[in-house]
Amino acid sequence: MRLVIDPTRCHGHGTCAQLLDEYIRLDKWHYPIVGKQKVSAGHADLLMRAAQLCPELAISIVDD
Amino acid sequence: MIESVSASIMAPTGPRRLSLGWESAHRPSPSGRVAFVSDLSPRPRLVMPLAEHVAGYGRLPSGLTMRMALDTLRASNLTGRGGAGFPFWKKLQAVATAESRKSPVVIANGSESEPLSKKDTLLLKNNPHLVLDGISMIAGLLGAKSAYLYVKDREAHTAVNAAMRERRERGISELRVTVVEAPAGYVSGQETAVVRRIAKGPALPQFSLDRISTSGVRGAPTLLSNVETFAQVAIVLRFGADWYQQGGQGSDRGTRLLTLVGAVGRPGVYELLPGATLAELLREADAGDPRAVLVGGYFGRWVDLGTPNSTNFPMDDQTLAERKLSFGAGIFGVVGHDTCPVVEAAAITEYLAGQSAGQCGPCMHGLPEISTAMARIALSSDVERGMHDLRAVIPLVEHRGGCQHPDGVIQLVRSTVGAFAEEVKLHRSGRCTARGSHTSVLLPPGATVAAGAVVR
Ligand SMILES: Cc1cc2nc3c(=O)[nH]c(=O)nc-3n(C[C@H](O)[C@H](O)[C@H](O)COP(=O)(O)O)c2cc1C
Ligand code: SF4
Ligand code: SF4
Repeated sequence: MRLVIDPTRCHGHGTCAQLLDEYIRLDKWHYPIVGKQKVSAGHADLLMRAAQLCPELAISIVDD
Repeated sequence: MIESVSASIMAPTGPRRLSLGWESAHRPSPSGRVAFVSDLSPRPRLVMPLAEHVAGYGRLPSGLTMRMALDTLRASNLTGRGGAGFPFWKKLQAVATAESRKSPVVIANGSESEPLSKKDTLLLKNNPHLVLDGISMIAGLLGAKSAYLYVKDREAHTAVNAAMRERRERGISELRVTVVEAPAGYVSGQETAVVRRIAKGPALPQFSLDRISTSGVRGAPTLLSNVETFAQVAIVLRFGADWYQQGGQGSDRGTRLLTLVGAVGRPGVYELLPGATLAELLREADAGDPRAVLVGGYFGRWVDLGTPNSTNFPMDDQTLAERKLSFGAGIFGVVGHDTCPVVEAAAITEYLAGQSAGQCGPCMHGLPEISTAMARIALSSDVERGMHDLRAVIPLVEHRGGCQHPDGVIQLVRSTVGAFAEEVKLHRSGRCTARGSHTSVLLPPGATVAAGAVVR
């Protein structure tokens, strides 16, 4: 599983980085930088929650 | 479609220039490989009438199958003329094989958002039938139910409407093309912005996990190409790949339109025939002894003419790529010795930063920082800090936009500090090799930038 953030929607609220701090860090403008590694199956629920909680609905989950 | 007798694509003779009919200004160079087509503010000329168009180029082939078209387009090596240089046949194949219940949509992109470019507008104004032929053939092959022409220029719009009326009056049965006006702005020509505008949305880029070839306008498989690309398609599918390729060198053997601007005696739109070199182009444009050329437009790369062997190469896709260059949007910007290319690039960077659609954080915040860093370097105010900031900010911006706009800016910036490292060094000591005052020759007309303290 990977997460993909739509940069045109994301407003840099940072909620996702709080939930998924292993995978996402924030740049100096507080926009998320998504790491390259895949999200482990154990973190699937967390990923789902991050996608639901993003205020801009900018997060997609890609299965590959 | 124009009725025809031949079912196969072969025509050993005939014109392959796109500028046929603009002859009043057409004048081939001594080498015969560079043709001056038009100056930048041409007097209104008559659109080539359909009868003359057919007499010049011949009728469209009939009985053309997708297989034949793909083979021919593939063999011709035709690449897109809108900037990215993507092979046209691959794009066509992707749309043709897309799994979708919706019928495909065809779009010709004539928004020509590069402010210095004139070739697309001139093509539409002088030879709209060639572009319409290309759209008609591709829409026919794909079984498209809608086709659009996206244009910014008003006179081009009028010319296209007149040409379409003529085709209807002559009883040509083909899919009707809807002309959609492209709003102002640099990013309005970006492919997802075009797709959104066609669907009556704002002309702003959109992020998607899908390519437009599978899901574009309202979810339909969409083929979007530059208007010159469609004109080239109309030529390749008429005359065949062998003919298209004959007589050239390198990988790409059709002609190309380009806009040449800046410090030259004869700026204008040119058509390059196969094998034409940069040296021939500069000679033909009365460039004298210029300092550098920005190849490809605002997202382009510099050629420093002070380096040996910098102009004696044929300008085909392959040779350009070997030199880390690309035709890009087909703009060649020439600067002379009285202009500092670093100042030029800083001014362009500032203009482009201002053209961000302001949707994505890294683009909206990062481009102004890159622009400020470039201004520090260009104006010799704090070169050290400028270079340091570029190194810090570029990785935060690159590949993080919703579209290629920021990456295009970064390409220009990298090329500038790379090609003119000596100049940057000079700026560190507060000097600049530019002989005269800094008068920008590559900024869009009317653009004001803060570096305008020196760049006017
Ligand atoms: C910021 C931006 C602006 C663009 N503007 C134009 C344009 O004005 N005209 C154009 O043909 N392509 C433009 N493009 C390229 C298009 O996205 C697209 O790649 C092109 O129209 C495809 O045509 P082609 O395959 O024939 O090159 C732009 C791209 C970007 C990133
Ligand atoms: S939660 Fe959504 S809007 Fe906020 S930073 Fe993450 S992706 Fe962007
Ligand atoms: S990268 Fe810049 S220009 Fe492209 S969509 Fe995002 S904000 Fe707009």
